[in-house]
Amino acid sequence: MNAKPMQAAACGLIACRTCGLILPLAMRDGRCTRCTSRVNARIPRSAERTLAWLIAGMLLYLPANLLPVMHTSGVQGSQESTILGGVLSFWQAGAWDIAVLIFIASVAIPVSKFIALGLMLWTVRQGSAWGTPQRTKLYRVVDFIGYWSMLDVVVVAITSALLQFKAFGTAEPRLGILFFCLVVVTTMLAAKSFDPRLIWDASRDND
Amino acid sequence: MQPASSTLLICRDCDTVHRAITLETANVAYCSSCNAVLARRHSRDVSHVLAITIAAAILFAIASATPVLAIEFGAIRTQANVWTAALSLASGWAVWAAVALALATFLVPLLQIGLLLWVLSFASAGRRAPAFRIALVALHWLRPWSMTEVFLLGALVTIVKLSAWVHIVPGEGLWALGGLTILLAMLSRYEPRAWWEFAEHPQ
Repeated sequence: MNAKPMQAAACGLIACRTCGLILPLAMRDGRCTRCTSRVNARIPRSAERTLAWLIAGMLLYLPANLLPVMHTSGVQGSQESTILGGVLSFWQAGAWDIAVLIFIASVAIPVSKFIALGLMLWTVRQGSAWGTPQRTKLYRVVDFIGYWSMLDVVVVAITSALLQFKAFGTAEPRLGILFFCLVVVTTMLAAKSFDPRLIWDASRDND
Repeated sequence: MQPASSTLLICRDCDTVHRAITLETANVAYCSSCNAVLARRHSRDVSHVLAITIAAAILFAIASATPVLAIEFGAIRTQANVWTAALSLASGWAVWAAVALALATFLVPLLQIGLLLWVLSFASAGRRAPAFRIALVALHWLRPWSMTEVFLLGALVTIVKLSAWVHIVPGEGLWALGGLTILLAMLSRYEPRAWWEFAEHPQ
């Protein structure tokens, strides 16, 4: 139906990322006439900001896994559990489905976000034209799944609210849960800082 | 006033320019380069969206005021909902995790529903709401941080986790939370551009 796809920047247009209004490219670094947000042709310093949040997230991921997230005490005695320890005890108790779910939310999603965002930053820097639509799809997946990592924080919070029986068992949060929360926030900010159009710019430059 | 915005669409993910076409009901337009969703065909009826928002507000009130889960052990009964769950994290430095959870599962959804009610109730009267621009910009920034559905899944996981040891009872809040998740998902299908055009030109 149409010829070669045209890039908005090449047509002298930009779209406001907050409200979607299309503006002339000359208005970049100014403010949107509809919602007054700053408009840019690309998210400013996108790669640097993404890298900074990504490194912060990876550093915070260490204490999030090494420190206990919950302290439980009951008739069998008291124990401190880490995220991986929790996954393991579900597995051993035969609740493999819950073990898999928590493993996906707390380990697989953050780690694959680190790998995917690192891969995107590296290929953009290399000016790679490889798998451009696939990398864009990967970015959308990373952006979409990020907040599900909050699952373990929610589970610890609900468990601590419910298990408050001195005679039977109590649960309370430990510092690891704060680090885990910070991992979710920093990796979400890393994904939000990344401008997926950089993936396309690199392959267009190589044409 | 802005003829370009009504005839062109620019993909958020790859910057490709498209000529807008008229969509049939329930159709979705995808970017030909990167397959991102460009536009959806929405109900143009403000009262329809307002009804969903009012229903969401009612379910949100029920979910916040009633127990989502409860445990009875002897004479003692404990319960959890978005409030008590966040509060239970508030010890020592973990208090910041409590703040984050309270924002994501209570304050952000509350603001989203409240701002939508504000904007849409004026729009249904054919008027532009006061502070319309601020409300819509706020809705754009709040959207990624709304985690009602994560709380719902967390509650379901906790049922399975604890039911081996204690008798755990789902409360009214759990059903309200389930309904709220569906309604918020329906509302989140409206992309920011749709809200601007919707509220600026009702009908």
